Amino acid sequence: MRRWLGLGALLAVAFVGAVVLGPAHVALRDLASSDIVLSLRVPRALLALLVGGSLGVAGASLQALVRNPLADPFLLGLSGGAGLGAVLAIALHVAGPWALPLAAFAGALGAMALVYRLGLVGGAQLDPRVLLLAGVAVGAFAGAITTAIVSLAEAADLRNAFLWLWGGLSGASWDTVLVMAAYIPLPLVVLYAAARPLDLLALGEEPATHLGADVEPLKRRVYIAASMLTAAAVAVSGVIGFVGLIVPHITRLVWGHRHRALLPAAFLAGGALLLFADTAARVAVAPRELPVGIVTALVGVPLFAVLLRRWGGAGARA
Amino acid sequence: MSTATPLLSVRGVTYRYPGAAADALHDLSLDVRAGEFHAVLGPNGSGKTTLVRVALGLVAPDTGAVDLAGRRAADWPRRALARVVGVVAQREDNLFPQQVRETVLLGRYPHLSMWGAERPADQAAVTRALERCDALGLADRWIWTLSGGEYQRVRLARALAQEPSLLVLDEPTASLDLRHEMEMFELVRTLVDRHGLAALMITHHVNLAARFADRVLLLADGRSAAQGVPAAVLTHDTVERVFAWPVAIAPFDDRPQMIPLRQPKESA
Amino acid sequence: MRRLLLASLLAIVGCRPAPDRPATPPVAQRIVSLAPSSTELLFALGAGGQVVGRTTWCRYPPAALQVTDVGDGLNPNIEAIAARRPDLVVLYRSQLNETAATQLARLGIPSVTLAQDRLEDIGRAARALGRLTGRQTAGDSIGAAMEALLRTPAPAPIRRVAFVVWDNPPMIIGAGSYLDQLATLAGGVNVFHDLSAASATVSIETIVARNPDVILVLSDSTAPPAYSARREWRAIRAVREGRFIMLPADLFGRPSPSAPAAVAALHRMLETEAQR
Repeated sequence: MRRWLGLGALLAVAFVGAVVLGPAHVALRDLASSDIVLSLRVPRALLALLVGGSLGVAGASLQALVRNPLADPFLLGLSGGAGLGAVLAIALHVAGPWALPLAAFAGALGAMALVYRLGLVGGAQLDPRVLLLAGVAVGAFAGAITTAIVSLAEAADLRNAFLWLWGGLSGASWDTVLVMAAYIPLPLVVLYAAARPLDLLALGEEPATHLGADVEPLKRRVYIAASMLTAAAVAVSGVIGFVGLIVPHITRLVWGHRHRALLPAAFLAGGALLLFADTAARVAVAPRELPVGIVTALVGVPLFAVLLRRWGGAGARA
Repeated sequence: MSTATPLLSVRGVTYRYPGAAADALHDLSLDVRAGEFHAVLGPNGSGKTTLVRVALGLVAPDTGAVDLAGRRAADWPRRALARVVGVVAQREDNLFPQQVRETVLLGRYPHLSMWGAERPADQAAVTRALERCDALGLADRWIWTLSGGEYQRVRLARALAQEPSLLVLDEPTASLDLRHEMEMFELVRTLVDRHGLAALMITHHVNLAARFADRVLLLADGRSAAQGVPAAVLTHDTVERVFAWPVAIAPFDDRPQMIPLRQPKESA
Repeated sequence: MRRLLLASLLAIVGCRPAPDRPATPPVAQRIVSLAPSSTELLFALGAGGQVVGRTTWCRYPPAALQVTDVGDGLNPNIEAIAARRPDLVVLYRSQLNETAATQLARLGIPSVTLAQDRLEDIGRAARALGRLTGRQTAGDSIGAAMEALLRTPAPAPIRRVAFVVWDNPPMIIGAGSYLDQLATLAGGVNVFHDLSAASATVSIETIVARNPDVILVLSDSTAPPAYSARREWRAIRAVREGRFIMLPADLFGRPSPSAPAAVAALHRMLETEAQR
């Protein structure tokens, strides 16, 4: 119980920090009325929470699905697909303020479908190892096409498209937050419903079947739901690496492997991590801003090392 | 011996793996009832594991039918089936660092509702399962600290936590030492006698199967070489033919025991 | 026998001197220009007829489009350049081009590396290229004009400006860029003048806090940029009020000898804007 309170407190501190701190100085008494806070910082903090949480849950689910603790949501080719979609949108001069996110989302889904198709062996069975390899291959392929388009491109715009891919929450607004908030509950619910069967899957596919899990539909549901979360995250904030990889490990050290506890913890911890990272990205070299993906790595790794030393005894074995 | 509906009924089953040259199973039939301990024996590649996969509905036979508790195997939803059949598979790669109680609790999955938490009744079932397997003392141990024999008992406890009517065990004593092997066979025997379970065990250990099982099915090249009580199945000619090695059969405790004979090579 | 061996050994191992930089010709007749600003300068000097190669990005003046395209200016394609049989290659000074000069020297092709990032660079480049192409007078004249421009005292500030070159992530122009110089000369105050880099990523809230009067955009179209419809960008007053100035690429896209004209144009646009 103490652990949940601690996590809740951490999240609260992270959120408050994201709202109070920033490169533009806003006095505490002006917070509630400041346009910067209400139109920019609050939606950005909410988006960080939703994106970080989504990546944390997606990472934990995918690690269970592919039975590989090094799996990261972006290992499944989604970032490559998203980048290609975005670059094509720019190259084809697709108009509209939502053109880039929608194109990135479509690209990510395209990659997801392709990787899924490649991961199907023997007709209808999804092989997690093949899934991983297919993800790396599709991601690399899409990345190569993207690089080719950009290097042959005429406008400087296309070169800047790569900057978008490096990730950042600058596109955060109440519109983005509402879209994200409306979209993610379904995949989150699907993954939470799969929490117990994922515990069984850790024993292997056959033992899980014998214990009553419908393994093939389970793998499909988890893969699709986790990919949908990741696709949405990439569409609104580019590729923010490391969160989906590290957050599940950090939360496992404290909450163990049971996914009914692990998945919600991963959501809250992922949100907190991204909030801290984004605040640091905005404030550390103000008035300039760092790419948040760099900060998540710089913040995440030492954090992980500290936790590993303190709690790593029994919990980190195997 | 009950005459009720068999818990497992395999009738005239034939199955060939796609692209294989010969049938993996040919015209096999088998009935397992409550209170019966069946053993499946045979050399490597004789179809023992395939039989189990067909029996559990994991693979559909080309001809013949498989019924579990009176219902076609293919018609059983997985979760419902797991309340009837508990399986101790040959291999398990447990990625979790878990405590024994936690891993046995996984066996309660078929009884839990999708959203509900574990109830006291579930914890009680876990305790009962551990007791029956003589593993209650291990309850708070981490599984990586267990010996091979202890871990097998825990896996059996997990299967028992499902509160099944039929237990299926695939080579549960492979790589166990003598003491743990005997303990496992005694345990299964006790579960069948005292708690009315049905048990189907695939094993290499011909002699222990002969001592403990009620009925034996001896497989050779996917066919039934012999089926029935151990004394009827494990005859000298049958065993030599199936295992392609000279043996002597000697009785012990009213059960036939197989003694392999030496076959010295001709000196050059 | 031993002496023969030793001589052969020395010949094989040691004696390949570093290629000396080939001397530039007195008047270059076959120039390959590897940067849009040097291409523009060469044409401005009246030496367009002496240019036999340009990069894909060299599109101004329109006459330059008739010149053969040899590819990229950064990490250039040495083969394509050599195929033009140049007697002079004009390189853009950048770390990425350091090996290019050496590679050209090995082929016996003279090259000159010119800094082309700031307005003062243009004056220097004009004089250098003037000498190399036999158009010394023209070169010196452009050089003098640029120096005069830079000596002009900055006019009274008319408007506070910000150059936004990309929206996701938001990128602005700082004091290191020639655009900042143009703005200052035209009476604009770059709200990000305190950043020494040529460009930098900032948070939208920083732009909001610094509250520029108008946003300057490098664009040939008159339509406001796509991000101006996005909710988070409308927190910036200038975006809400639709205060954008579009700067055509020909005049503002690179440091150029037309800088005086650019400054005058920008000054006019700022004054017009101030009266809205």
